[in-house]
Order: sequence, then C-alpha cells, then structure tokens
Amino acid sequence: MHIQELILRLQRFWADRGCLIGQPYDLEKGAGTMNPLTFFGALGSKPWNVAYVEPSRRPADGRYGENPFRVYKHLQFQVILKPSPARVQELYIESLEAMGIDFSKHDLRFEEDNWESPTLGAWGVGWQVVLDGMEISQFTYFQQVGGLDCRPVSAELTYGIERICMFLGGYDNIFDLVHGEVKTDDGIFPVTYGQMRQREEFELSAYSFEHADIELHRTLFDAFEKEGWRLLKDHGHFLSAYEQALKMSHTFNVLDSRGAVSTTERPGVIKRVRDLASGCAKAFLEHEEGAALPVEAGKGGAK
Amino acid sequence: MNATRTFLLELHCEEIPARFLKPLTEDFRTAFTTWSSAQGIAPAAVEAFYSPRKLAWRAADLPGAQPDQTETQVGPPQRMCVDEDGKPTIQGLKFAEKWGVDFQAVRFEQPAGKKEPCAVVTLTKRGRPTVELLAEALPALVAGLHVPKAMRWGKSDFEFVRPIRNILCLFGEQVVPITVDGVAATDTTWGHRLFHRQHPEPVRIASPGGYEAALEAAGIVVSLDARRARIAQQLEQLAAEAGGRVVADAELLDTLAEIVEFPRILRGDFPANFLELPKEVLVTSLREHQKSFCIENAMGELLPCFLTAANRPDDPEGFVKAGNEWVLKARLYDARFFFAEDRKHPLSDRLEKLKALTFQRELGSYHDKTGRVVALVKALATRLSGDDDHINRALEAARMAKCDLRTLMVGEFPELQGIMGGEYLRHEGAPAEVWMAVKEQYRPVGADDAIPSTPMGCLLSLCDKLDTVAGCFAVGLIPSGSKDPLALRRAGQGIVRILWEMGWELSPADMIGTALAVVGARATRPQAETAEALLAFFRDRVAYQLELAGFAGSVRRSALAAGWTNLADLKTRCENLSLFSEDSRFASLAQSAKRIGNILKDEVPGDQFQAALLVEAAELDLLGHLHRVEAQHDLIVTLNNLAELADPLEAFFSSVMVKCEDQALRAARLSLLHRLRQAFLRVADFSLWQ
Repeated sequence: MHIQELILRLQRFWADRGCLIGQPYDLEKGAGTMNPLTFFGALGSKPWNVAYVEPSRRPADGRYGENPFRVYKHLQFQVILKPSPARVQELYIESLEAMGIDFSKHDLRFEEDNWESPTLGAWGVGWQVVLDGMEISQFTYFQQVGGLDCRPVSAELTYGIERICMFLGGYDNIFDLVHGEVKTDDGIFPVTYGQMRQREEFELSAYSFEHADIELHRTLFDAFEKEGWRLLKDHGHFLSAYEQALKMSHTFNVLDSRGAVSTTERPGVIKRVRDLASGCAKAFLEHEEGAALPVEAGKGGAK
Repeated sequence: MNATRTFLLELHCEEIPARFLKPLTEDFRTAFTTWSSAQGIAPAAVEAFYSPRKLAWRAADLPGAQPDQTETQVGPPQRMCVDEDGKPTIQGLKFAEKWGVDFQAVRFEQPAGKKEPCAVVTLTKRGRPTVELLAEALPALVAGLHVPKAMRWGKSDFEFVRPIRNILCLFGEQVVPITVDGVAATDTTWGHRLFHRQHPEPVRIASPGGYEAALEAAGIVVSLDARRARIAQQLEQLAAEAGGRVVADAELLDTLAEIVEFPRILRGDFPANFLELPKEVLVTSLREHQKSFCIENAMGELLPCFLTAANRPDDPEGFVKAGNEWVLKARLYDARFFFAEDRKHPLSDRLEKLKALTFQRELGSYHDKTGRVVALVKALATRLSGDDDHINRALEAARMAKCDLRTLMVGEFPELQGIMGGEYLRHEGAPAEVWMAVKEQYRPVGADDAIPSTPMGCLLSLCDKLDTVAGCFAVGLIPSGSKDPLALRRAGQGIVRILWEMGWELSPADMIGTALAVVGARATRPQAETAEALLAFFRDRVAYQLELAGFAGSVRRSALAAGWTNLADLKTRCENLSLFSEDSRFASLAQSAKRIGNILKDEVPGDQFQAALLVEAAELDLLGHLHRVEAQHDLIVTLNNLAELADPLEAFFSSVMVKCEDQALRAARLSLLHRLRQAFLRVADFSLWQ
C-alpha cells in the first residue's frame, strides 16, 4: 500500500469515528505528542478527539539514508481520544482492519511499554502493539502531561506509518516504499520514499552528526529558554512560550547527536525544557476557559 | 442452603503487564483466604489462573452460608422473673423481650459463678448466605489489591493495573451481583480477540468447573502451567527438527508463557551470514528484541534460525513467520551495523571518551575509575606474580576494560558490557589472556555464575569490584538493611568468591588499605572509619561465603572467630573441622572452652609459667597434652590432639581449683589455661561450637 493511501484510510477511519482531522504543527519535534493538539488537548476536563500526521525528527536516529530501516525523520499518525472510550482497543483493531489487515491470518499482541517524555513532564502506561512480531503502534493512557494529572484520561494511539507500510508490502528497504503516484498526460509516475527523502536524510544526518554548530546551538538553547519564560511570565502566553519549549527540545536533540551533552549534564538540560513545558501546561489550565483548544462539546463542533 | 458450591471470579482486563500477573493473583488469593476464614466460610482450596487479559480465582467447596452460631444470655435470678404462681413477672417478660424471644423460650438454670438459678435464653444467630457476603466484600477486595504501577482510565478515578472490561463472578451457577468501577458481574466473559472477530457474542460460563474448557474452546489457555508446558514441548520438538537444541533460558520461557493466551511456537530463519556476529550478540538481540530462543548444535554453535511464540493456534498463510523473520532481519541488520561501526576504530580510542561518562558523582568518570583499577592491578599483580610481561598484559586489560561502554553495541545492549570489549579486542588481535580477562571482568554476575576462567580475568574482576566497593564506602555509599542500590554486597561477594576459589592469600586489610589509598582525596569521610566499615563488610561476606560453601553453623562460627583474614587458611580449617562435626568430644571441648573463657575473663596471665609448680595429676596430664598440641603443625593431627583434650579437661575442672590461695600456683594454672586457649584459637574458637 502507498504511504498516502495508508494515511488517507486512517484519516477517513478516525474522522468517521468522531475525530477532528488535525494538521502537523510547523515546528521541528521528536513525536506527535508534542503537537499542541495533543499536549494541550490532553489537559483539562473537556472532551477531545483528534487525529493527524506528524513528521517526527530524531537526530540521533539519522543514518545518512544508508540504513534500510532507520531514519532521521519519520511519519507518525497520532490519535487522541479523550476520555478514553471503553472500546478503545477494539476501535484500534478495527483501524488496522481498515488498513487491510486480516486478523484471521495475523498475530497481534499488546506488550507492556510505558511511555515517558522527560522533556514534556508527561508519562502514561500502555503497550507497544506487536503485529507478527513487529512493533507497529504505541498505545498509551496519559496519566500526566506537563507535570499535571490528566482528568479525564486520554488514550493516545501512535502508528508508525513507514513501518506499517514496509511490513504490509514486505519491503526490505524504507526508501523503496512508494509514497504515491503522479499522474500526468504523459503517464503515471510512481514516486518512492527514496526519491522524496533520501537526500534529505543524508544532509540532515550529516548536519546532526557533523555540521551543526555546537556553540550556536548552545546559544540558541539558552535564548529560546529565556524567550519562553519572558512570554509566559510577562504576558501569560502559553502557546508562544510552548513553541520556545519545542525549539529547546529540538536544539537539545541536535546537541545530543553531536555528542555535546555529557551524561552528567543531560538530566539538568532536560529539566530546563520540562520546566518551561510544565509552566505552559499550568498556564493553559488556568486560562482554559478563554483558550481556543479544546472545543467544548456542542459549542464548537468537536463531539 | 448449606451445600458447598464452587466460587469463580474473573477480572477480564486490557493486557496486564506480564510481571504483575503472578503477584496480583497471589495477592488476591491471600486476601480472599484470610477474609473467607474470618467469615467462617473457608474454601477447601483457592486456585489461581492468569493470562495476559485475565486474573481469575476459583475456590472449591465454599459453604452456601456461614454456620449458625448460638450464644447464651443470662438474665435476672429465677425468683425475680417468676412469681409464686409460676407466672412471669414484668422483669421476666422484659428479659424475654430484650432478646426477642417468647417467655416460653426462657429457661432457668444455675450458670457457673451464680448462687441461684437464673433466666437463660439460647439465641441462634443465623449464618448469612455466602453469596451476600461475597457481594459485599469482593469490590473492596479487588480495589484493595496492591498494584505497583496503577493507572486511571476514562473519566473514573478508580485505579487498577489496567482497565477492567468485564467481570465474571459465579457462586455455583448463580451470578454474584457485584460492580467494580461501573462494570457489573455476569456469567459471561471474552475469549481470544481473534476468536471474537468471528464470534461477536461473549462466552457463557455455565459453572465454575467448566471454566478452563469453555475458555479453551474460545481460544484461551488460562492456566500458566499448561501454557508453559505446551511451549516447552514445542520448543524441544522444533529445535530437534531443526537439528539442534534450544539455548536454554528459563526466564524467557516464563515470559513467553505470560505474554500469550494461546501459545504456538514458530520457527523462523535468518540469513546465515549474520552468524558472523558473536554468539552473545545474537542471543541477546533475539531475546531482548524479539523474545526469541536461539538454537545451537552439539558444538554449541548457533544455527541460522530462531523460535518464538505467537498468540494464536496457527499460521495459515505463513504471515506470522514471515513477519517475525522480517523484523529479526531488521534487528540483526542494526546489530551488524553496530558491530561494523564499532570496529572502525580500535577499542582504545574510547579511553578518552570515558571522561564524559560518569561512574559516580564523587568518584568521577569511568576514565577516573579505569585509572584506579589500573593502579590496583599494578599493586596486586606484583604480589601475585613476578613476571613483568604478565603484569603488563594485565595492565593493558585493565586500561581497555571499560572502553566498550562507549561502543554502539553496548549502548544498545547494556548487558553485553565486558563481552563486547572482549570480542572487539579479540578481533584486534589482542593476546587471548587480555581479551578473555576483559570479556569476563563482570563475573561472577551472581551466586550461580562462575568466576572468570583465567587468573588474569579474576584479578581484573577483583580489582574492578574492589574499587567500586571501597570507592563507594569512601564517599559514604554504604549498604544498610535491605538497601543496597549499587549492589555492593554482590560485588563484595564476588571478591570473596574469587579469593576463595583461587586460593589467593591477599589479606582484606591490605586490600582495603591499597584500594583506599588509590581512592585518595576523592574520599569524603575519614579513611580509618571507612577501613573499619569495609573490614566489617568483608567479614560478613566471608561469613556468607562459608554458608554458601555448605559448612555447618558450629564450624562456621568457631572457625571464623579464630581469624578470617587469611581465606585459604580459613577454608582449610573449616574443611578439617567439618570432619569432626559429629565427634561428641567436641561438644565437651566446647563446654570446657567456655569455662576457660569465663575463668580468664578478668585475668591477664603470662605466656610463661613455672611448670614445676603444678602438682595435681589432672593438671600434669593436661600439661603433657598442651606440649603435644603446641608442637604439632599438622592440622588434622592437631584436631585429633584437641579432641583428646576433652576428657583431661573435664578431669582437670573436676579435681583442680584454679583460683587457689597460693598466688604462684594460681598464676601457673591460669597461664596453663591461657596457653591452651591460644592453642585452640590456632584452629577455632571452640566456645562457639554448639
């Protein structure tokens, strides 16, 4: 199955089950959880169902486009269901069936895998979902976000798009995946993942491991932190402040892949990101009534 | 009503982490047993079942109701309850009314302790139906289960290990009406997920006895033991078919039995060229990433195939096998990438990088630790061997020992530390002695593990552990009670094991002194204090070693008290003492030794004495024995001589007054006893022999 077809099916499936279809957030980030649709959506008491694709960057996973299984940037499909419904596992399984997986022929397991994001002050319990021996999704019941208890609890489903596509198509190389087809008057041209992304993988890996200016990134990290706290403290602006926390997080990841963060330094640096993110979470809850997200049932269209 | 019935409770949850299944079922079993006994409805037995989504208990022969209980109430004297005509008085009627009975039910008897007959009623307290008691108590018993990592879900504040989605609760064929977090009990449950893709209805359990069979028909083997037995049998069969045997791993077998509801072992293959990876890497990668077993041939070489569990009875189109093979290939591809990348640079290149890896805050980086271990190897190697080449190779092993902590492979599989360092050195062409020492530096990993197979490996392991223990003590990280987060006791035990099995004569005091000198200024507490704490720590480890070696309590106590710092000597004494552990003369000797101890408690007798002053036959006899014991250096003969002392000592104490008036004679007798005690203590403190 083409990557875009898989995404379209997932979006259709979850839209039909009462989710808003969101969009990726236009800042670098390590996971779909960091999108404000999830970070703020999981907080507070209002119901919230949303699904979206998130390109996620893990600088240390970069392999210069040479490793057939591992990449600097991959696509996550993220679903938030708040409160978590009683049939949430069944819904998830039905979404796999919507992708074309026939469970009379496959093996499915939910294996304990508790999720934690030290930079977001977030954690939850759940599983990695294993299909025929391969981890295809992360399934989490959020317990805390930004250091605050989640009440009600959201279920977060994260699908690894490339992995699922490779697995379903039996591909041995991620770059051979077909993203989709370009149809013109001259004919049909399949476009592979490699054509779209391999050069990007090479350059971004080289950047993370070799070319990123360490001093610049240290400076940026400090500057983003300062800016974030200024926005939060002087103006009570948690959305723009949160963007600064996202930038800090990515800057830290680049420094980390450059080997510029020592083990002793590490927890302290992570804490600085977490503190700002937690500050944003707290400010959001305090201002929730006036906030644009999430929408209250009946008032704005979210079911 | 009172016929016994079988009780069945099943909590059907979303997948419960494997590690919590057993503790949770045991916890509830204990709580239920305690509760039911207190209610007077104890069952014959409580069986526990569990599978990834189920926690279940079945209690056989639970009474239908509590037993009736009778109690006797005593009221006023007969004369106040009945008038002269035999009619009830007001007081008599009131007594009957108070206990809710007709006056006819009141009897008149003279209870013990009363002087006259009194009004007495016997009340019967009806036992309550078990089903009512269960309905009342179960929700609290479930909510009271100890869940180590509890979670919330949905809108509720209820906490449990994973969301509860269905409750099956039967007493005989009757549903026990309970509700936990909004889920009401029924007589139905759910089978295997994949079974229900075809059968949308829940499975009805007609009676507790048919539980396992009904679930098996719905695709779940709910007994752990049954699942494990099936897995073990399939593993063996499939390995034999592949022409080898399973690389045993009891923990992995348990894990597989805990993570599937219907076990089916599958054999998959991987490309043979991955066999160029070290065996440990393959076994670890397969175990950690894919929960798979390796297969080895009679030579212990791996075959290019693996065995793993699927959670379904079949693999109709081979997708499950193909999927597992696909994933494993990706994993091995990664491992091969690490193996190749790591070897692009010599292992020694990582030495500098160890500076950025903290060992412990006060004790510095792994680079600092390496420096200390090198210094210790240098100090101790010269004592063990005079060969310069040998010492130089040992120093090289110590320098390289921690470098693998900065390799990609160990980053991915921390449990391969040491092993990878050894493998990489081997590939670089390092001498066998060196790479083997590095490879085995963490052994013995536990009480079941062997010490390193080479003397150099033993020396490296000992020095590494010695630095860890001494360093941590020096900065105040000392294990206490059940708290030993850095596993220092295990490290200390490793040191003692190595000394013990190698027969090395290294005194703990010297070792400690050397190690603390190497820790030097990093110490945060006074050196003398640390040395004292370490000495006590090592004495405990030595005592435990004697226990592990299987020596009897009397042998251990008495041998240890006579000196423990020379382990080789201690070992010999213990072995020889054990030969006498059944000898009744030693019991008598122990009595005499205690007596000597008491007599000498406040005395300071000299070593020398005038033997000519001794007059009594018994003391002269003892003197002869003393000379024989003192002249003897063979341990076995000495022990025989000591055994022979039992009777003369008894005779001595029954006929000789030690603390006599004559001060010179008294001094001589005290010195005689003192010298005897000294002779004992060359072997053991017999006063502790029981």
